[in-house]
Amino acid sequence: MFDPKLKEALAHVQKPGRYTGGEPGSVYKEKDKVDLRFAFCFPDTYEVGMSFLGEKILYEILNKQENWWCERAFMPWLDMKAEMERLQLPLYTLESKDPLTAFDVVGFTLQYELSYTNILAMLDLAGIPFYSKDRDAHWPLIVAGGPCVCNAEPIADFFDMMMLGEGEVQLPQVCKTVEQAKKEGWDKHRLLRALAQIEGCYVPSFYDVTYQEDGRIQAITPKENAPAVVHKAIIRDMNSQPLPTHFVVPMVGAVHDRASIEVLRGCVRGCRFCQAGFLYRPMRQRQVDLLDKAAQELCCNTGYEEISLTSLSTSDHSQLEQLLDKMDIWTEKEHVSISLPSLRVDNFSESLIQKTTKVRKSGLTFAPEAGTQRLRDVINKNVTWDEIEKTCNIAFNAGYTSVKLYFMMGLPTETLEDIEGIAQTAQKIVELFYQNPHKPKGKSVQVTISVACFVPKPHTPFQFVPQDTKAQLEEKQQHLLHSVHSRKINVNYHDSSTSFLEAVFAKGDRRLAPVILAAYQKGCYFDGWDECFKYDVWMETFREFGLDTAFYANRYIGLNEVTPWSHLDYGVSHDFLVREYKKALAATTTKPCNRACSGCGANKLLGGPCFEYGTDLVH
Amino acid sequence: MNTVRIWFTKTGEASYISLLDLQRVMGRALKRSGLPVWYTLGFNPHIYMTFTCPLSLGQESLVESVDCKTEEEAPNYSAWQEALNQVMPSGIQVFKVGPVVMKPARIASAEYQVRYEDAAAPAALGAYNALSSAPVIKKTKRGEKTLELKEYIPTVEYAVEGNTTSFTLRLPAGDGLNLNPTLLTGFLAEKFSLAAEGAAILRTRLLTAEGEDFQ
Repeated sequence: MFDPKLKEALAHVQKPGRYTGGEPGSVYKEKDKVDLRFAFCFPDTYEVGMSFLGEKILYEILNKQENWWCERAFMPWLDMKAEMERLQLPLYTLESKDPLTAFDVVGFTLQYELSYTNILAMLDLAGIPFYSKDRDAHWPLIVAGGPCVCNAEPIADFFDMMMLGEGEVQLPQVCKTVEQAKKEGWDKHRLLRALAQIEGCYVPSFYDVTYQEDGRIQAITPKENAPAVVHKAIIRDMNSQPLPTHFVVPMVGAVHDRASIEVLRGCVRGCRFCQAGFLYRPMRQRQVDLLDKAAQELCCNTGYEEISLTSLSTSDHSQLEQLLDKMDIWTEKEHVSISLPSLRVDNFSESLIQKTTKVRKSGLTFAPEAGTQRLRDVINKNVTWDEIEKTCNIAFNAGYTSVKLYFMMGLPTETLEDIEGIAQTAQKIVELFYQNPHKPKGKSVQVTISVACFVPKPHTPFQFVPQDTKAQLEEKQQHLLHSVHSRKINVNYHDSSTSFLEAVFAKGDRRLAPVILAAYQKGCYFDGWDECFKYDVWMETFREFGLDTAFYANRYIGLNEVTPWSHLDYGVSHDFLVREYKKALAATTTKPCNRACSGCGANKLLGGPCFEYGTDLVH
Repeated sequence: MNTVRIWFTKTGEASYISLLDLQRVMGRALKRSGLPVWYTLGFNPHIYMTFTCPLSLGQESLVESVDCKTEEEAPNYSAWQEALNQVMPSGIQVFKVGPVVMKPARIASAEYQVRYEDAAAPAALGAYNALSSAPVIKKTKRGEKTLELKEYIPTVEYAVEGNTTSFTLRLPAGDGLNLNPTLLTGFLAEKFSLAAEGAAILRTRLLTAEGEDFQ
């Protein structure tokens, strides 16, 4: 049944179920009867990759096409990688167990900068040459999608093509073109020229990048008739796009092992640090009936007992309460619990708690992001202490005894006072619990504060600002620890060196490609995993190539500078980013899109206004 | 309330599902099937399930079973079987659904078919048969204890066909003493360098103390 080599490898590794496939919902076809084979690669472990909704969406869309077969591959964990190398077992997809070289298209999703080296490891395991220029039409077409494509210039030279924006319509177009090229025997150059004409398709080799003496970019020049600026692909009407109703249900527990429906895409809030908030504009929500029906079908097909209503900000769906009322009719009967992973402090209500905890109670997590009102205004996280207080009281009344709060440090204009504000916010929540007459009797409260290091990201108003240095971040972490005086408060913080590398990659340019390859060859992969992260090897490799990491992470970018991502357009205008940046420095807030249009430019993607202002969208 | 015993194979991909994962896999499969299974009461209701005789990770079996409950007066067993086979992952095939004839506590032993694709296997087994004593260490939750393997497997009657060496083992199983065939394959690996991962282990029967097939 399995190849003997694979059986041998499986006998030696932890959790072999990650490498076998055969899960309910996985799609099997006869390989001789399909015209196009697509390997969907997630450059992290099975457990992480199987939690990713985007893969489930595209897996279903591609496999609906009878003559295409989309299969899955993941990055094998350290023990399996070593076994595969020892036994010369090439990286394979879980369905057919065929090596990646047997595919027409190998597509990676770029969700996180620190998974870049895993892409190289996966190509290497499959025996595929790293650089696009070293692969002719006999090799699979290597493509990428996902949020990091908004500036994946550091790894652009490894890819034949990258896809900006939403893949539901764009990816089938790409596959159709590849199918035609295969039938008609096009060479790779002809195929790439055709792909470059599809909305959101970016062929890195069709753009020449020149640099100034100081390392800044001189110009990005298109050739081969490629567009000067690549505009992201977008689904104009989310109601026209069916939700996936058949998930591959993992048998080895995934990180997020539950059904999920995407209730809306994009976000109205405009938090200035949040890259997703700008990449997925404008916000588009789905109709309640459509969501309810898809949710019920999905639970029925997967057997999941939990369904999550996902999006960047689920409580901004204008008809969330109606949706929950509809779902409550069947979820309770079918033993399904509903979870809302991304609630906001400012529109959290008692009835929301009731509706989501009827079957099972899940934890309560909020993200105030900054410790003082001034700094929250700088980042445009329009949350006030009064709202936090109100929310926590509702939660304590409902019997919650633990609250988790997310913050960032290293935000623009931040001072030590803002850091103290994080500790004070947590302390005030502890006090709120004890002042609450309806608090659960005889129980103590636990407030957990999780503090991440801020990474300035492209296509946000903070793309211009430098990241705090490692020394600055570490000083702030110490200051925070010294500002917490209660044992009811837990503090978690993030290693600043991984955030530093993330910043270098996020704002990096094409000169980083050989550095990333060299670091991989010295043993750097799984960089996002603390136990595998080799900071010293990375820094040594940057020095060998004569590149200064601070140039990328810790430098102000001029408001008129040509950035590595200047030719990649997500609908939000440069002028808007500059305006927002200046407002941030003045601690002035901007209203959410559904209250007032602030003219970011993304409405052009829809061909009209994003909202019917004055209707019931606001609550 | 009726208890229903679902008999299934666990081979191929499914042999790599651990018991903990199997509980989740089976729970979801039952839920997908839409069959009227009984949920436990209480704050956190879940489908009631008991696995009869758990199997080690990586081993295959033709005789696995799980018990669940239903409020159906007279379950249509063949309809259950059909519904379940539509929702199982690769490697799990439901071959029988029926009433509980025997309590799981009656299981006293299990039979395994062991197969090596290794030219060194006959020599190692011959050497085992020539030994008078084969002490092995069995790990339990309460610590380690030494067992005399010869008490349970005095000799191994093996057959060789081409590169394949195969034999059948009958070992104590169930609530009391439970011996894993890996005690033997591990011993052969340690003493005679016969690679243990080369052994394919398939459970073929579950038996009562009287030697009847468990039903």
